[in-house]
Amino acid sequence: MRYIVRLIALGIVAALLAVVPATMSQDDDVVINFYWASAVEGDLPGIFADYAAQFEAENPGVTINPVYTGTYTQTRDTILAEGDSPLVDVAIMLATDMYTFIDDSYIIPLNSFIDEMEDGEAWFDDFFPAFWANSIDPAGNVWSVSFQRSTPIMFYNADLFAEEGIEVPTNNEELIAAAQALHTSDRDGLQIPVAGNFPIWMFQSFANAYGAPLTDGDPTQVTFNAPETLEALEFLTRIGMSVEDGGFGVGPMGGSAWGETPSAFVAGQAAMIYHTIGSLTNILQSADFEVGLSFLPSGPAGEDGTGYGSPTGGGNLYIFDDGSKSEAELQAAWDWVVFLSSAEIQSDWGAATGYIASRISSWEIEPLLSLTEEFPQYAVARDQLDFAYEEFTAYRSVEIQNIINFELSNVISGSVSLDEAASVLENAQAQIDGLLEEFN
Amino acid sequence: MNKIGTRRRVEVEMTPRSVGSRNRWSVAADVLTVVMSMLWLFPFIMAIAVALRPQREPISTGNIFFGSHLTLANFERAWNTAPWEWHFLTSVIVVVGVLSVQLVTITMAGYAFARLKFPGRTLLLYIILLQLMIPTGILIVQNVQTIRELGVFNTRWALMMPYWGSAFGVLLMRQTFREIPRDLEEAARMDGANVLQVIRHVYVPLSIPTYTAFALVMVSARWNELLWPLIVTRNPEEGRPLTVGLNQLYSATEAGAQWGNLMAGTMLVIFPLVVLFMIFQRRFIESFAASGLR
Repeated sequence: MRYIVRLIALGIVAALLAVVPATMSQDDDVVINFYWASAVEGDLPGIFADYAAQFEAENPGVTINPVYTGTYTQTRDTILAEGDSPLVDVAIMLATDMYTFIDDSYIIPLNSFIDEMEDGEAWFDDFFPAFWANSIDPAGNVWSVSFQRSTPIMFYNADLFAEEGIEVPTNNEELIAAAQALHTSDRDGLQIPVAGNFPIWMFQSFANAYGAPLTDGDPTQVTFNAPETLEALEFLTRIGMSVEDGGFGVGPMGGSAWGETPSAFVAGQAAMIYHTIGSLTNILQSADFEVGLSFLPSGPAGEDGTGYGSPTGGGNLYIFDDGSKSEAELQAAWDWVVFLSSAEIQSDWGAATGYIASRISSWEIEPLLSLTEEFPQYAVARDQLDFAYEEFTAYRSVEIQNIINFELSNVISGSVSLDEAASVLENAQAQIDGLLEEFN
Repeated sequence: MNKIGTRRRVEVEMTPRSVGSRNRWSVAADVLTVVMSMLWLFPFIMAIAVALRPQREPISTGNIFFGSHLTLANFERAWNTAPWEWHFLTSVIVVVGVLSVQLVTITMAGYAFARLKFPGRTLLLYIILLQLMIPTGILIVQNVQTIRELGVFNTRWALMMPYWGSAFGVLLMRQTFREIPRDLEEAARMDGANVLQVIRHVYVPLSIPTYTAFALVMVSARWNELLWPLIVTRNPEEGRPLTVGLNQLYSATEAGAQWGNLMAGTMLVIFPLVVLFMIFQRRFIESFAASGLR
């Protein structure tokens, strides 16, 4: 049937072909197809059209064609579906997509572009170092540049803390004590959004704070069965377990849902929540109480203001080349990446979307400067970056994350008891090692 | 029958107690109907309520339906998210462009399989049946390549062409045509009708309910499709349907669920279909009853 359809289609198309515009470019300009993935609301097509117009005015002869490609996952699938002759030139994809695409030789390293910059070193150093962690492979190749980055952070109801005379917790013991003090029959002391399909991001902050990061810069190694990993998982699970069952009883069993956690906090149904800094704008607009932000409390991995464990998150800019692109096209693609990651654009984009502007100097210029003066909360996530870890990434990243997410959910939700958790982690580790075998 | 019925009614009317019990039953049936339809309506009503609620008010606070006041702000925000006017245009063009071609192809193929004898008929029918069982997702990469080779990538043609043939439609029309008595065709032939005239004047008019049912299924399938348009088109102006605009709202999950925007966007997108359904409601229901489709 497909074949018949194609034949019929071919016949009809042959007649139409003359009038159908077949390509995306209309003139002799260098055209950069820029695929953007999004996870925030707003007139993003309008914003990207403005950025493209600004860039084109400064770079005659280059046309930017911004294309909305859906979520990060849809964007990845779109690029993979383009197959052997990709149309994409520059894309925003997850910072953790690096090894997926190195593996398939889609993206190119950017070192030579950086070396050729007049002030390449200064440019490089103006990004928060934590944001480079997911861009550089062990051989030192730079594969992506930060664009829309985030990190988990703790939101607390400052009015409640003031009323009850409780200090904001800085470590896990204080966290549980504060949560217990603020927990009532119609208010959770603490909500951590680990219910659902993606507990790994929040879990990383615990694993890191317990001294057992899942990955540590080497894409061929993933550690999910360390004793500290188990301790971290036990701690996270106990937050939602009732006191009778040996838990702390300060949050919903199995964790809260990602989408519902900010609204529960705003409605006064949770005294503290962990969520992404990307939620701050909405929460500030909706809450009728003083919203406090603090670092995720530290774990046993360090003392005295160390032992923080937050990972980074969000999307980076990648350049694609299947070997067919001209020098001029690649240079234009790089110029566009430099433009989007410039201090001016980062300041503007950060203020518009709530992502953390990735350039240090972008915090000293408008509009971000006045925003942080008015709402100092925005700077908390920035300052936490000094302690941030890389986000989980490895070869076979998608499959390994699926395994980890599945097992984490089993334990956190209570489907698997804590007594069996150790063997669950061992089994998962064996599966992960199997997936990574070919790379070791 | 009639007589008995009449007499019974007279008897019933004579005893007040029976009248009461009969009314009770019919009231109970009415209540049940209302309850069932409320169950079906509930998500729709909530969607409207959430869409009209101020964005900052969670559903758990204030009046459950109206919040503190009703507002169109969510619609404004949703409208500003995407170039909806282009999305609407594309969705309408694609639905019309697919359906009009499909009606021709499924009629021709359906007739051929129902009434013509030709070598390989059974085999071809099985191949078409087989196609129903292949999930379209796994063919996407190959289909994208085909679309690019045809030179229609990033045009509305790319959204329409793959659906010009419909295995489901061919089988549906084959079954429908087979149930039409051959005598009718033979009578038409006697009067000198050729194949096309037979199809036009005998088979098509007798199959209108089936066509209506098919059209409804296909229109909503194309209207609601996301993955294919997202991958084979790139610019709203060249042809991206409503679902791509809606996807922008649905993928804004970073800051938690923005129900107000989501529901307002959903209302925008389903509105034309809801209106269409209301206009043709009676006909649709008759078609489904007649064709046995659900």
